[in-house]
Amino acid sequence: MNQGRRSFLIYTIGGSLISLLIAIFYPILAFLKPPKNKSIEVSSVKVGKLEDIPPDSSLNFRFGNSSAILIRTSSGELKAFDARCTHLDCTVQYRKDMGIIWCACHNGKYDINGRNIAGPPPRPLNSYKVVVQNDEVYVSKI
Amino acid sequence: MINWKNVLFKIIILFFSLLLIGRMEKSYSQKKIDYCFSCHRANNDESAFLFSKDVHFEMELSCADCHGGDPTQKDMGDAMSTENNFIGVPVGNKVSELCSNCHIGEYSALYNSVHAKYSIKGEEWIVQCTTCHGIHNITRVKNRISPVNPFNISKICAKCHSNISYIRKYNPELPTDQYEKYLTSKHGLLNSKNDPKAATCVSCHDNHQILSKKDPRSSVYFTNLPKTCSYCHSNQEYMSEYKIPTDQYEKYIKSVHGIATTEKGDNAAPSCNDCHGNHGAIPPGIESISKVCGMCHAINAELFAGSPHKKAFDSMKLPECETCHSNHDIIAATDQLIGISSTSICIKCHSNEKLPEGYKTAKKMRELLDSIVALESTITKLVSDAEQKGMEVSKAKFKLRDIRQIKLEIKTVIHAFDLSIFEKKTTEIFNLINEVKSQGEYAIEEYYFRRWGLLGFTLIIIILAVSLFLYIKKLENKSE
Amino acid sequence: MRNKVIRDIYRWFDERLNLQDLIQLANKKYVPIHRHSIWYYFGGVTLFLFIIQVATGILLLMYYKGSEDLAFESIRYIMTEVEFGWLIRSVHSWSANLMIFCAFIHMFSVFFTKAYRKPREITWITGMILLFIALGFGFSGYLLPWNELAFFATKVGTDIVGVFPIIGKPLQLFLRGGEDVTGTTLSRFFGFHVAILPAIFIVFLIFHLILIQRQGMSLPMNIDQSKEFKTMPFFPNFLLRDLLLWLIVLNILAILAVLFPWELGSKADPFAPAPAGIKPEWYFMFMFQTLKYIPAKIWIIDGEVVGIMLFTIGAILWTTIPFWDRKTERGQKNLLINYLGLFCIIYIILLTILGYLS
Repeated sequence: MNQGRRSFLIYTIGGSLISLLIAIFYPILAFLKPPKNKSIEVSSVKVGKLEDIPPDSSLNFRFGNSSAILIRTSSGELKAFDARCTHLDCTVQYRKDMGIIWCACHNGKYDINGRNIAGPPPRPLNSYKVVVQNDEVYVSKI
Repeated sequence: MINWKNVLFKIIILFFSLLLIGRMEKSYSQKKIDYCFSCHRANNDESAFLFSKDVHFEMELSCADCHGGDPTQKDMGDAMSTENNFIGVPVGNKVSELCSNCHIGEYSALYNSVHAKYSIKGEEWIVQCTTCHGIHNITRVKNRISPVNPFNISKICAKCHSNISYIRKYNPELPTDQYEKYLTSKHGLLNSKNDPKAATCVSCHDNHQILSKKDPRSSVYFTNLPKTCSYCHSNQEYMSEYKIPTDQYEKYIKSVHGIATTEKGDNAAPSCNDCHGNHGAIPPGIESISKVCGMCHAINAELFAGSPHKKAFDSMKLPECETCHSNHDIIAATDQLIGISSTSICIKCHSNEKLPEGYKTAKKMRELLDSIVALESTITKLVSDAEQKGMEVSKAKFKLRDIRQIKLEIKTVIHAFDLSIFEKKTTEIFNLINEVKSQGEYAIEEYYFRRWGLLGFTLIIIILAVSLFLYIKKLENKSE
Repeated sequence: MRNKVIRDIYRWFDERLNLQDLIQLANKKYVPIHRHSIWYYFGGVTLFLFIIQVATGILLLMYYKGSEDLAFESIRYIMTEVEFGWLIRSVHSWSANLMIFCAFIHMFSVFFTKAYRKPREITWITGMILLFIALGFGFSGYLLPWNELAFFATKVGTDIVGVFPIIGKPLQLFLRGGEDVTGTTLSRFFGFHVAILPAIFIVFLIFHLILIQRQGMSLPMNIDQSKEFKTMPFFPNFLLRDLLLWLIVLNILAILAVLFPWELGSKADPFAPAPAGIKPEWYFMFMFQTLKYIPAKIWIIDGEVVGIMLFTIGAILWTTIPFWDRKTERGQKNLLINYLGLFCIIYIILLTILGYLS
């Protein structure tokens, strides 16, 4: 009887010890697994491959907790801006036909350098730095 | 009892006063003897003739007060000798400095103005007192012949400001059409009809201390401009004969535009002049109002022009934007404007009996808007609930921002008054709302997962701890 | 069969490491049983929490980036993107606080039972050094998330260091890596927190533990050592009890970490005005609050200087207590020490409460 209780104790200790170790090591192993979303750096974001953005086109992407816009001009130059319009925070877009950055909310217009040229925007767009490395486009805060 | 001392004192005082008056009399009459003036007039000098009509002559000032020298000397050489401080014709800034001997306030105002910049030759200011007021024929402003009289002032300003080649030398970006515009403005029209109350150049720009419109001290700086216009336009008594309202300023400062300019300092928001024109100020007509508003609200104006309302408004002679949004007291549009409730604008024309088609559309649009508002507040609550629980919901919050943006866009596309375009936008919002909802719900689930995980962990530890405890007890019992 | 394999492996190691000696040592070791026995456990709990700190700290190092523009983002990344990152970070923060709390209890229990007396003077001093290093861990680790509160707390903390006469300014410059708290400070603190302090800590810790093993457990003064007293074997009885307590502590830690996750706050902006209610970590609160109460000038010396000098002298006296507490060494009851300790505890608790109320 005593022997039985003892071995029962050994089993509960062993069993719960193993579960405890699992409960401890499972989170640790999960922690060590690299996450899918690799955007730690809010101050720098990989936007994509250079070939994904042909000349005279644009790409809106998420930059930290705000939206940003990457523009490739017809001459192939890359420019990136905070895509929040300085008027009322709407997201701006690139207008091929006019060759400007344009806000749909109140017809705010910025030139290709982000300067406010027409409409209500009170300030130019904040610009970011664009770096191309091995055909990958990175945008970072200056 | 007579106080002799007192009497004597009074007599002495009287004596000296008489003496003083006599001396003053003497100098006064001496002034009358002005050999400068009498000689120059005798020699048919034009300046002397002009000066005889000058306000300063009237005030008994002599030539010598500006030109120096001694007017009491009969001999020309003595009168115009350097010992007698003769200056001759003052040049450059000396002119205004001479005026400043008496008109110090006006001088310092000019000194601070844009006009007190050096001319292209770099020798003197662009404008001296005499540039506007004349030289020897200076008269009171009220005098109809004064160049700065309200009926002449715009011409005197235009002398330089309408001269394209002249202005270009100083400020190539400054327009030169102000005078022409002014003539077409309500102010200019009244002025040409001899109305002295109508605003002239100096009414808005100040007379002596004229500053650039980019100078925050300027009366026409964008934050100061509404106040400047209201100086006359809010004065009931002053405006009474024109039969126009005087509450524009009061309405404007409470409007979305007024708050943007005066409180937020947003120089892109319209001030009075942006809608009415500045030099050519006149109220926009019924037919042009949408063009004026459309300068900023371009898409709204464009969509409206293509909407069925355009024709209807034109035929009913309704002003386009103003009918729904009013003019000076315009506030940010709310969903209240749409629909068939008593606060809505649509219902004013689109009653179920008269225009059932529009009635139905308005009803449908409002229903969609209301459901967006309701859903948005639910998911905002869900997300903030998850946030309160310490969960990370920045992605969902980012999407909430997108929803706000499309809501703004809806306020634009509504001007097409087309249900299909409207529904395209609302569908976008409903999709986003679903995404946010699922992310928020996931965060809440994760929150409970953590709690259940903790419970499981605690149970394991309790089992292990209890069995370990029993094991220790056993061990100690055995050893005893 | 199975036992034979184990025995063979054991023998292989025994022949090389002489394990028999260790087992004998463990078997010889006894822990006295008396009404103050409970205090023996707190050193072990502190050690356990330190082990957790090392483990979670190493895990956090996998993702943390110690630079001005990435520190905050990387912690947020750990908390949001990395699986169980929230748990690891929260455990690290809670465990740090519990560890310092337990270290204080351990220190005061040793103080009141007068366990620092001969021959354990060195154990006491190494323990005090470990406590100071632990405070250094807390101070440097607090800045690492680079959030607003930590930034300004560090600013205030290093300001206070600068007040110290003569060595204050150079020391402040050394800590900050410049005139102001900037990204350089963060890099330095990161270096202190994960390299310099652990290296020093581990040396003193090993020394501290070896001394305890060699000298055994101290007995309180009021137990007559010549007489027979109750004991329990260290192995396995006391060790198992230790483990049992560690389990409970682990569970408390998990509960705290899950139910009260450590907040991250908002990112530090060096140009923003200091937010209201900057508070240091709770274990610095009583010093912070004292400095607030000291008048600006005492005679001709700055009040702050006086305060800091007093704390420094106090800390030195406290650390060197085995050397000037002669009465205890002679085996006599020294009530003065008890009253002094009691005063310190009451003072610390009172000032900490006042600090949080104000």
